[in-house]
Amino acid sequence: MQAPLNEARTMEALDAALRSTAADEFEISVLARSGEYTRFAGQVIHQPQDIVEVQYLVRALVNGHPYRVATATAADLDRAVAAAAAGARTRAELSKKPGQVRLAAPGVGAGAGAGGGAGPQPGTAHSAGPAAPYWYSDTEAYDVAARSGLAKEAMAAALTAGGEAAGMFGRAVTQQLVATSAGIRRQIAATEASGALTATIDDGTAHWVDLSRSAGRLDVAGSVARAVAQARAGRGRVDLPPGTYPAVLGAEAVGELLGFLPDVGFTGTLAAAGIGITARAGQPLAAPLVDVADDGGADMGLPIDFDIEGVTKRRVDFFRHGVVGEAVTDLATAAALGRPSTGHAHIAREQVPEPTAPNIVMSGGTHPEDVLIAQLERGVYLQRFWYTRLVGRITGTITGVTRDACFLIEDGRLTTPLNGMRFTESVLGVLAGVQAVGAGVRSQPIPNVWNGAISAPSVRAAAFRLGAAPIEPAA
Amino acid sequence: MAQTNAHRWGDLADDEAAAALLASVMSTIDNRVDYGDARLVEAEELRLYHQLDRDPDERLEKSIGIGVRVLVDGSWGFAAAPLSDAEVPARTADRAIAVARAGVGAGPRVTFPPRPAASGRYQTEVGLDPFAVSAAERDALLADAIEAAAATPGVSSVTAGVNAKRQHRHFASTEGSLQHQHLLETGGGLTAIAANDHEVQRRSYPNSFHGNTGGSGWEFVLGLDLIGNGGRVGEEAVALLSAPMAPAGVNDLVIGAQQVSLQIHESSGHALELDRILGDERNFAGTSFIQAGDVGALRYGSPAVSITSDPTVAGTRGSFGWDDEGTPARRAGLIEEGIFRRTLSNRDSAARAGLELTGAARADGWAYLPVCFSTHVFLEPGAGGSLAELLDRLGDGYYIEDNRSWSIDNRRLNFQFGTEVAYEVRSGRRGRLLRNFSYGGITPQFWNSVEAVAGREEFRTFGYPCGKGEPKQWGFLSHGAAPLLARGIRTGVA
Repeated sequence: MQAPLNEARTMEALDAALRSTAADEFEISVLARSGEYTRFAGQVIHQPQDIVEVQYLVRALVNGHPYRVATATAADLDRAVAAAAAGARTRAELSKKPGQVRLAAPGVGAGAGAGGGAGPQPGTAHSAGPAAPYWYSDTEAYDVAARSGLAKEAMAAALTAGGEAAGMFGRAVTQQLVATSAGIRRQIAATEASGALTATIDDGTAHWVDLSRSAGRLDVAGSVARAVAQARAGRGRVDLPPGTYPAVLGAEAVGELLGFLPDVGFTGTLAAAGIGITARAGQPLAAPLVDVADDGGADMGLPIDFDIEGVTKRRVDFFRHGVVGEAVTDLATAAALGRPSTGHAHIAREQVPEPTAPNIVMSGGTHPEDVLIAQLERGVYLQRFWYTRLVGRITGTITGVTRDACFLIEDGRLTTPLNGMRFTESVLGVLAGVQAVGAGVRSQPIPNVWNGAISAPSVRAAAFRLGAAPIEPAA
Repeated sequence: MAQTNAHRWGDLADDEAAAALLASVMSTIDNRVDYGDARLVEAEELRLYHQLDRDPDERLEKSIGIGVRVLVDGSWGFAAAPLSDAEVPARTADRAIAVARAGVGAGPRVTFPPRPAASGRYQTEVGLDPFAVSAAERDALLADAIEAAAATPGVSSVTAGVNAKRQHRHFASTEGSLQHQHLLETGGGLTAIAANDHEVQRRSYPNSFHGNTGGSGWEFVLGLDLIGNGGRVGEEAVALLSAPMAPAGVNDLVIGAQQVSLQIHESSGHALELDRILGDERNFAGTSFIQAGDVGALRYGSPAVSITSDPTVAGTRGSFGWDDEGTPARRAGLIEEGIFRRTLSNRDSAARAGLELTGAARADGWAYLPVCFSTHVFLEPGAGGSLAELLDRLGDGYYIEDNRSWSIDNRRLNFQFGTEVAYEVRSGRRGRLLRNFSYGGITPQFWNSVEAVAGREEFRTFGYPCGKGEPKQWGFLSHGAAPLLARGIRTGVA
């Protein structure tokens, strides 16, 4: 398994590019990824892929006015630097006053040469907490032959049970480097292993997804077996009457809900605009069992300990024992809020740059999921949500559908399998009603977020509303 | 007057040089594969955003790379890499072959029916090169739009943006195809937000999802009239805060063109992707309620509903000369007077299902495998006349427009949409503004409830980004629609 870039040579190239005097300041971030994916469906590996992607993103600053230029190759870096400087000069000329943008200064939260890993090696220290290893040799062993073998076994297991399996096993090396004219030098190389699978037997389906820096943590074989068993148990689905039910939400479903926390106010953009939940910081809006944070130093999900501005990521608590915490920020929104950046700068494709929470982690509890189910006399088990969208930012209300292995819970056991069902429910309401938290934490990717993951356990929630919103009298 | 200079930029503008590079790849894989193709893509994208009380943010992103797809002993392989040195094309081809070999024997041998070579050149017609527009002009446009939108007291934030992307896309296959496409797209949009302690309301123009982008030059942005619409957008955002809540019940609706375009995207475009229908996307994006055997038999909608794929229509985000596995662009009726006729297919899925190839293999740049995506897929305008005539025909009901939220299940069957605005309609006259409107239903039931579609004079086209695949990739496409009248729709569902 090879990193897409030679870190020493790349940093030399960044050093050389930063000697430019065409602008007041420069910042160069490099995002690179070498990903291998074994994708299968219909009893065949139908889309095996081996993809290398690299982006050098140059930001030049002239009198506080920024301009960014990205390119895909080191050979084009000088041109990108010159173009960024020219763009920033134009922006400065067009403006009637100095710009507001400041790049990170070396020091607290933005180390000069500190914190980042020196290359593909384990045990890189995280500056704000316990060591978060980034490089795992067991992921090196999760190669195309191993993944193809696992895909064949998964398809065979599902076929033996009378169905089929579709999914993807993958591994990647992610590299991130940041260098600035102010002297910041950060670099990291991290492994990533992932697995996802849907087992289908008649109308029964079940899903599993997990990812980690370490392939050894995925438990692919056990997860395939569980998914096939759940799909078999899920045959003969019935419709559930709309209503509000006590619920055990699987880890994937919980992760999907947690993905909306930035949207309800835990970003600097919303906080600076005075919109959303951080206006109620310090209030207990979730159950005391709920601890959720974005944590670039956590040993789960996809930790990286600095952002594209070279700022060390600080753990940012969204809920600590249920109490509302704070928002993630980048340099710009932190300045607007009058605070230091938490290290969460991000640029999503086709979108305005804004701070993002890329490694959301909810702390696990002590009981396995089976115990959470056993604690319910009657309710529902919901494995996965799908196509969820925000409906109300203040209330945290989302709409979506349930998907895959969903069951009625009766006398502490999963019984009747349920058809997928539409829901409209408040994420904040669900978190306020959490009564128990499962022990097993699983991770899933965040779409359109670089190196993004959400890690969550199962939870038992007092109530979850299923069905379209009830018809109420018109205004 | 069309500007041909708009395509003279970057490292891959020269077709002959690109052809030579692709020929080297073909010679690398020749005799080692059952089939192979390579895509050489250079793209540059400009994005400028203005936000209220913040410095403008502009970025220019360039990407250049190659993607090689091979079929070896009945097994697919794909590899991609940036063009960082001269050895990359050959190395990438070798990696693709290695990936394919690892999958040999993992299932039934893939068969890929051969076809004759198709070669040529295609380029977007560009009036004004957006990359030649001065920064001062871009800034002035967005600053004025922001000022107009923020003029109403109570507007808390405004974002306005313009974007432009130009691409050189070169394709070659072991069947002898050699194609050169030079594409350009331009877009813009505006969003105003008003908030109080209980509500956050948003108004957008011309589309709530990433603005609107067309396959043409700066003239597309000028045609949007962002400044002229800015004031209205701000006023409506604030008005929505105190507007009455939209009703729940079963109602008749006139749905505006933008919302119809998203309805097409979610419940028609995705549902008709043949790879999805065959189960290839089962794990992530999902499947479809439509089956391959439904062709010619399924009544998908009312006779007023005809949905067409036609990437030969110029000027849209879904316009091209060939799709990303070299199939010539063509017009294909997907739904004809309510009957399901064709799918959005690529070569592999069409061969497996024994269905017609409609040329819908699309890939995001060089780095991703082509999969089935919408092209330019649109609802054919109907006999409903103007929007005013459609409202008159509605009688009592609601006129809704501009998507606020959307959700649909993994079979593209059970959907729910919210819109930014809704207007009460009584006796064909538009009345009160209402907030938080939503409607939901089941795809074929919805399309069968369509009584009329407005005429060509109300037809509008919207460019969209979309996501699909594992790893997830972006598709860029367009949908066209005129407002439609649908009866008996459940509302107030979210």
